[in-house]
Amino acid sequence: MKTIDAKGKLCPMPLIMTKKALAEISENETLKIILDNETAVKNVTHFLEEHGMNIHLEKKEGIFEILVQKKGNIPETTIVENYCKVENQQISNYVIAFQNNKLGQGVEELGTILIKAFVNTLPEVTQKPKTMVFLNSGIYLTLHDSPVLESLKKLEILGIEILVCGTCLDYYQKKSALGVGRISNMYDILEKFSQAEKIIYP
Amino acid sequence: MNYIVFIFESTHQVLKVEKILKENNIKYDIIPTPKEFSSDCGMSIRIADSSEDKNKIRLLLLNNQIAFQEYKKNA
Repeated sequence: MKTIDAKGKLCPMPLIMTKKALAEISENETLKIILDNETAVKNVTHFLEEHGMNIHLEKKEGIFEILVQKKGNIPETTIVENYCKVENQQISNYVIAFQNNKLGQGVEELGTILIKAFVNTLPEVTQKPKTMVFLNSGIYLTLHDSPVLESLKKLEILGIEILVCGTCLDYYQKKSALGVGRISNMYDILEKFSQAEKIIYP
Repeated sequence: MNYIVFIFESTHQVLKVEKILKENNIKYDIIPTPKEFSSDCGMSIRIADSSEDKNKIRLLLLNNQIAFQEYKKNA
């Protein structure tokens, strides 16, 4: 597998390197791109997705790895600079507090399907939350076997802070099963709530 | 990323499909039915277009006599 290391590089360098590397590999071959900042990840991801490539993103200790399978060719005339975005302007100052692994009250199976739809839609919402907090049985949404793990990971990579109640993980004995987000406590969580412009309780 | 969205006649059908997919260890996402495909505010099942489970799902739906429509979506 071909690998490019674009750590510490500013836009449009990661894009130029990506475009060049993709031109050098053959169809269906996989390219690994290593990056160290969220803006670069967003720009490169947007660039690849717009050209119909299948990507897989991973974050390990502040380092991002994008695996991309080459599908078709990126036209030589593509201007990569057009994909440089400085900041994500779409994050606003609201918090979503998940107090339950279901949405609303009523029959359980309906609440379960609604919460999945809720979280899976968030990556497409224009005004994204600043922080998402998971409390009580809401923590089940952040575990390895969560049905919405992929969407939460996507949101985290987009720069949305995910805080998970440590007491709750401990109570349900799920600390070792955490799949996304940062373990947090009531001090942090209340700070976020008190600074938020609004809080949404799904 | 390209997705395939499966649309069903009711929420109860979606729940039934979920159960079948789970039993067959197929990964999927539940999403609200995209507005461009239907205006009925329902739920749909989404999988990556690149997923090899596509045909498996179609077959399971046919075998279980579940009516569905499928669309491609880029998100």
